[in-house]
Amino acid sequence: MIFPDVFQLSLRNLREAKLRTSLTTLGVSIGIASLVGMVSLGVGLQELTVGQFKKSGLFDTITVFSAGQGFGRNARARGARRNSTASTNDPARPEKPPEPLDDKAIEKIQALPNVKEVYPNLRMPVEVKYENFSEFVTAVGVPLSSRGEGVFQKITYGSFLKNETEEACMLSLDFVHNMTSEDPKNLVGKEITLSYATAADLAGAVMGGSLGQMTIQRTEKKYSIVGIVEREPGPNFGGGFFSSIMVPLKKIQEAGFQDFTNPQAFLRGLSNKPSYSAVTVKVKHLQDTEDVEKKVKDLGFNAFSINDALQGAKKAFIILDILLGLVGSIALAVASLGIVNTMVMSILERTREIGVMKAIGAGDGDIRKIFFVEASLIGVLGGAIGVVLGWTVDKIINFGANIYIQRQGGFPAQMFFTPWWLVAGGIGFSILVSLIAGSYPASRAARVDPIKALRHD
Amino acid sequence: MTAIVESVDLKRHYPMGHSMVRALDGVSFTIQAGEFVGLLGTSGSGKSTLLNLIAGLDRPTSGTLKIFDQQLDQMSREALSQHRRKNVGMIFQSFNLIPTMTAFENVTLPMMFSGVPRPERERRGVELFESVGLRDRQLHRPAELSGGEQQRVAIARALANSPAVLLADEPTGNLDSMTAREILEILKQLNEREGKTILWVTHDTEMASKYIQRSIRLRDGKIADNGISSSSPSGGIA
Repeated sequence: MIFPDVFQLSLRNLREAKLRTSLTTLGVSIGIASLVGMVSLGVGLQELTVGQFKKSGLFDTITVFSAGQGFGRNARARGARRNSTASTNDPARPEKPPEPLDDKAIEKIQALPNVKEVYPNLRMPVEVKYENFSEFVTAVGVPLSSRGEGVFQKITYGSFLKNETEEACMLSLDFVHNMTSEDPKNLVGKEITLSYATAADLAGAVMGGSLGQMTIQRTEKKYSIVGIVEREPGPNFGGGFFSSIMVPLKKIQEAGFQDFTNPQAFLRGLSNKPSYSAVTVKVKHLQDTEDVEKKVKDLGFNAFSINDALQGAKKAFIILDILLGLVGSIALAVASLGIVNTMVMSILERTREIGVMKAIGAGDGDIRKIFFVEASLIGVLGGAIGVVLGWTVDKIINFGANIYIQRQGGFPAQMFFTPWWLVAGGIGFSILVSLIAGSYPASRAARVDPIKALRHD
Repeated sequence: MTAIVESVDLKRHYPMGHSMVRALDGVSFTIQAGEFVGLLGTSGSGKSTLLNLIAGLDRPTSGTLKIFDQQLDQMSREALSQHRRKNVGMIFQSFNLIPTMTAFENVTLPMMFSGVPRPERERRGVELFESVGLRDRQLHRPAELSGGEQQRVAIARALANSPAVLLADEPTGNLDSMTAREILEILKQLNEREGKTILWVTHDTEMASKYIQRSIRLRDGKIADNGISSSSPSGGIA
């Protein structure tokens, strides 16, 4: 028997019992809808969280620390450095002094394959003055290449830095509110005064041990405000560029600052060659991140990327998805019993018909196929309707929930997300469940004894 | 003439409650190709059981049953269904048309099972309706047809895969005598013109005598009379 004929006979059988078929299909639809709805919630929450990671952090970015700093081996590595001569004689700990994170290191990292660019993370202390306002903050150096990335995907007012040479800055919205009661919109284009000591001056003061008492020579410069950035709520990873005030990276380099946050490196940087506490590496393609991170570690540095932080979150979400999927599957399990019930009823009704078909030449396999296809048609139809139903219900719940969230003063969010694989998976799973549910009725139909079925009644 | 059906000491016993029913109890006979044989006997004599064995719907308890030199008693289930598809066509007392299908769909259904493509099925379907004298009722459902018309449709269906043997189980049992004669005429023509071997189960000895060439009479699962009729095709043995 060729497949189109099997299909035709199955379809005819379903049409003959329209009410029963539609009720069974509806049952499957509800099962699939609950499954798709639940998993959509899991995926949606994951997207929401990962999305925030994505906004705040950069997936193609690796932050590199000197092996003596950053995470992990911190204390031990520092200890090793202190008695570097002694440790070379110790066979148990053949640790070399950690590679300094200096311009040479940057060149080495730059030479790795798939590395797009490498630049140091630089900050410097400044005093910001605007009208009567004055406050000490840390200015962060922003490379021009981070335009449109991370926190700079959206500049609330104004625009991103135009070039490296201009004395321009961006401010955070919070800082602006702190600074003035003016409408932030009107602030773009205005000037603030930045007052800072050059690195050499500051170092002299620190070495003298009398930072508080000495008067430090300060430089004052006027910077124009080009943009105001608002950071959206969520975790702040790798968004190291975000600060109260953001200036071109070049400007901090010109001021002679290597790294202010780490006084040790800072001081060392003054005495001999400059070294950095952290360097940002950008890879060419997202998928290179892991590989490059490993190579950087092989060079003897510590490295961290947002992928590391995401791995843990992803594992947690897989468990959540499984749990939600299990809850959603309960309705589908009930629906599959509905399929078995419908098919068995249908076989009882059509026993004579099955007998006739066998008498005129249908094989057991033909009969089995007809009922199998019948069950899978219920599965396909129920799955397709179920996916649409689940998606619609999700939209309605999301809409309702967002009204409530907004009333409570929260941000509206997309809590449900139905990716294409869930659509295909939902329909596929529906067919699978239908086939499993249909296998008993189908083999029962195939076993019908034609003589009993045809016995005159 | 070649033997088309050959049975040796065929037995079919089945349990009923605590006792054993001997529906067929050692039946041996031969049917030649092109014969129109009446299988006679009272109700419960085993004639339907024998027909079911020849149709391959049932298996004998012991003995051998050969059709076209194939041993039915040793065939697999799949081979038996192929035998039903290719070698035999069944006609029933209660027609057994599928009520949800049109007459035309009923007739072409056996060709679906043997994998005949649709255009060929439709061509052959028209031909079959012609051969049983039904032209204009093809798209009606069985319930909309008279008994005689339904049986013609059933005969057309039995002929669909061009089997050599037609097995008719009381085909006129539900018909009035005039319609019954029409149906028997069709069978007779199929036998005479197309050389179909026909095995007709009936208890109507008088009617049978007008059509059959030979009768096999069963009584209590045994052959009571395996008479050879007169060689004249239309001659009776009454």
